[in-house]
Amino acid sequence: METYFLKSTDIFKFYDRIASEYELYVPVRVKTPVKVKCEYQSHLPTDDYLLKKYSEANKEEVCFNEYRCVEPTARAFFTHFKEEVCDYFAHPPKEAKDKPIALCGVKNCDIFSTRIQDFVFLGGIDEDPVYKARRENALIISGDCPNFKEACFCRAFEINPHCNEGFDFNFSPLTDGFLVDVGSERAGKLAGLIKDMLVPAGFGQLSGRQAKRETLIRQMESHLAHHKIPRKETLQEIVLAGYNSKIWNEEMFTCVECGGCIFICDTCHCFFLSDEPRDGNTKRYRAWDGCLLKNFSRVAGGANPLKMRHMRLRNRYMKKFDFFVDNLGVQACCGCGRCIEVCPGKIDIRHILRKLYEEKHLPAV
Amino acid sequence: MKKNIYRPFEAVVEDIISETPTIKTFVFRPKEPFSFRTGQFIELTVPGIGEAPFTPSSDPNITERFDVTIMKVGRVTELLHGITKGTTLGVRGPYGKGYPLDKFYGKDVLIVGGGVGLAPLRSLLFSLFAGIDKYNKVVLRYGSRTSGDIVYKEAIPEWAKKKKVNLVTTVDVGDPSWKGNVGLVTTILKDLPVDLNNAVAIVCGPPIMMKFVTMKLLDLGFKPEQIYLSMEKSMSCGLGKCGHCRIGKFYACKDGPVFTYEELKDIHDIWD
Repeated sequence: METYFLKSTDIFKFYDRIASEYELYVPVRVKTPVKVKCEYQSHLPTDDYLLKKYSEANKEEVCFNEYRCVEPTARAFFTHFKEEVCDYFAHPPKEAKDKPIALCGVKNCDIFSTRIQDFVFLGGIDEDPVYKARRENALIISGDCPNFKEACFCRAFEINPHCNEGFDFNFSPLTDGFLVDVGSERAGKLAGLIKDMLVPAGFGQLSGRQAKRETLIRQMESHLAHHKIPRKETLQEIVLAGYNSKIWNEEMFTCVECGGCIFICDTCHCFFLSDEPRDGNTKRYRAWDGCLLKNFSRVAGGANPLKMRHMRLRNRYMKKFDFFVDNLGVQACCGCGRCIEVCPGKIDIRHILRKLYEEKHLPAV
Repeated sequence: MKKNIYRPFEAVVEDIISETPTIKTFVFRPKEPFSFRTGQFIELTVPGIGEAPFTPSSDPNITERFDVTIMKVGRVTELLHGITKGTTLGVRGPYGKGYPLDKFYGKDVLIVGGGVGLAPLRSLLFSLFAGIDKYNKVVLRYGSRTSGDIVYKEAIPEWAKKKKVNLVTTVDVGDPSWKGNVGLVTTILKDLPVDLNNAVAIVCGPPIMMKFVTMKLLDLGFKPEQIYLSMEKSMSCGLGKCGHCRIGKFYACKDGPVFTYEELKDIHDIWD
């Protein structure tokens, strides 16, 4: 893989070049007044990042995001919350005329999640045509995480806070610019068009990046040590062993059934098809759904295998840590911590996994 | 042009047969070439309203039309019961794996049905009858709530007369007009004329019935891998994508809807 250096002052020239071919989304900072109270490390950042269309963003607000954005990037840009997937009967399929998207500010947790989304929408017996068109044409511009939030726990599952694969370009911030990895043929062609901005990365820059990456991993692991999250190899075993545990019930006392966790999740993928009349014709929509919602598994006649809230929480963990481990070989959780931040009931996946582990295997990790 | 996996094709309702006060059989003529293997299911679209999954109840060897037997239980089925001949509906599919007929060759095939669960089994029976020489015998045990709830009333006596077929029915609750057996379907599973060492059992009906029939079959000496179950789950896409019909590591739509009990026995709460 080739790596170049791009000066900070050239970043908008780079964005402009990408935006001439793609609908480019870039991270913008949302300042938050909230401070995380960590006894052991009280200076973890709390600002959020949103992905905004480059064409609609002010240059002053565009930034390099220090960690993942609020949106479940791997999911939200490839399947929309509710979108038309077909007309009925004779109407030919709509050709995708939209400009392909380029996503900047993607982090390694999101890249991990694209494996899950690809498995669902591109794998199996047939491909989802809408997802396929978007995903294949999308340009992924990822970036190292130079920092992390309290809720971040990717390293607990051995997912690095920097990317080694799965991107077109990857940005690693240095003091006066970025190291830019070219990860695909498509990106290589684009790099060829902006040769004047790129200089080959020097050995010192590369080893400097390596040192930064290692330092961040060490810092994150010392943060994660306080959460005692079980190792990824144990996840399937503890959710199966804890099937009849009281933990599911206890943890759901504060759930208000808002569905925040399932809709902010980068690896959740469930949907339902709904038919609605539009413009004199019926259209079929694919809309996000999730197993924490009451009627998710309800069948005709009213029977509902997941009628109690604790069953729905348990179902979600079975899907993530049993089903996906069996079917794809990895857990469907990337450690982004978005579900932890979104939950008004303060239900914390790290805590649940730790409790399941401790109940099964004293002592803790 | 690549086909869109979510788009239904048209099928016209040619005939509607009233089976019981709550169950009707709809005869469809598909407008596009369509065939299915017995036990596979389809998604039926009521235009403008939505979809629901059903297993065709007709002979899979007939491709110019197919039957779907539907009980009125929910939103879509209630609307379906209100439609008339000539209505055009949408169809997607077929989906799922269906019954592995080749695994039944040379065997005693026990079929246990409950209520409208006889619908997919009728399609299976047609397939078995069409190749009856390949099977040792067909033993059908069917239970319904009352005599008024029996589906395919005219066909059942005809099936009983066929060669290699042994057929017994029962109703849960008797009435003066009913001269046959009274009791749950499990009560007619005694003294089955099957060789346990060379038999398969196929069960389809409401979850509670499948649970007790499975327990009974295990008691009788059937092995988990000899018992085939049709699992009912909430389904939307039929393609293993939407996530609704998960059973353990399987999706009912893609990996089923027919599973052996061996595949399911270690999974929690399969009967819920």
